[in-house]
Amino acid sequence: MNNNQIEKIIPVFSAAFALIYIVSVEVNWAPFTYHPKIGQWGWLTEPARDGPPMYWYGWLVTSTLGAAAASVLALPLLKNRPTQYWLGWTIPLLVMISVLYFFRGFFLR
Amino acid sequence: MSTFLVILHGLLAVALLGSITHQAIAVVWPARSKSGFVNAYRSVSSRVYVNANIVLFLVVAFLGGYIYPIYRVWVRTYLENARLFPAVGSFEIKEQFISIGLGLLPLYWLVWRSPEPTATSARTAVTLMLCFIIWFGFIVGHILNNIRGFFGL
Repeated sequence: MNNNQIEKIIPVFSAAFALIYIVSVEVNWAPFTYHPKIGQWGWLTEPARDGPPMYWYGWLVTSTLGAAAASVLALPLLKNRPTQYWLGWTIPLLVMISVLYFFRGFFLR
Repeated sequence: MSTFLVILHGLLAVALLGSITHQAIAVVWPARSKSGFVNAYRSVSSRVYVNANIVLFLVVAFLGGYIYPIYRVWVRTYLENARLFPAVGSFEIKEQFISIGLGLLPLYWLVWRSPEPTATSARTAVTLMLCFIIWFGFIVGHILNNIRGFFGL
């Protein structure tokens, strides 16, 4: 992969990362779970063993791998087009706004 | 050890906050003259901050991720028992914003490297988004770190 190709897929990576991340949070797509109170790890999403489970590390891995795959798959579509810089920040901005909506429950109790 | 790491996390966040704010102001409100404090603050070369901001963001996020389990087990439980749900929610939003910021870092690096005119608006947008994320994360982290004093608990 040359520099020009990398430049074209980076905005797709940022957009896909944000999208996959928020979906991962909402449907809990974590490849592993950490149980911080007992310092144990488990595959996929596990219920609490002792103390609260943590999925955040898993969501980050899901997003990174998913965004990398989406970027590579998008490369043939982007080959003859200019770099779509706008895509890389508008989608994350919308995802940030959606985060406020998804977590509104904490402020309405 | 965890107290040391929380303090280090906070100190590096202050450095990142200063650096990204300086860059963001120079981007949206540039100045040619360097006369006076405000003009000198606005007239810096924004490009030189990019690599430092990326490294600082990664280090601060990594440290935050390392000490996160302490928050999850002890602090969040305490906040929930105290029925401070807005505080819990603020941290949840901070966590998601920081993650989105991590995904933005490659684009941030690219738009500051690219000489194309089409990258200019993206450069401003990404820098402002990261600036907002860092300010939000810092304020929420600072309030939570001092929440017993804030709420007289």
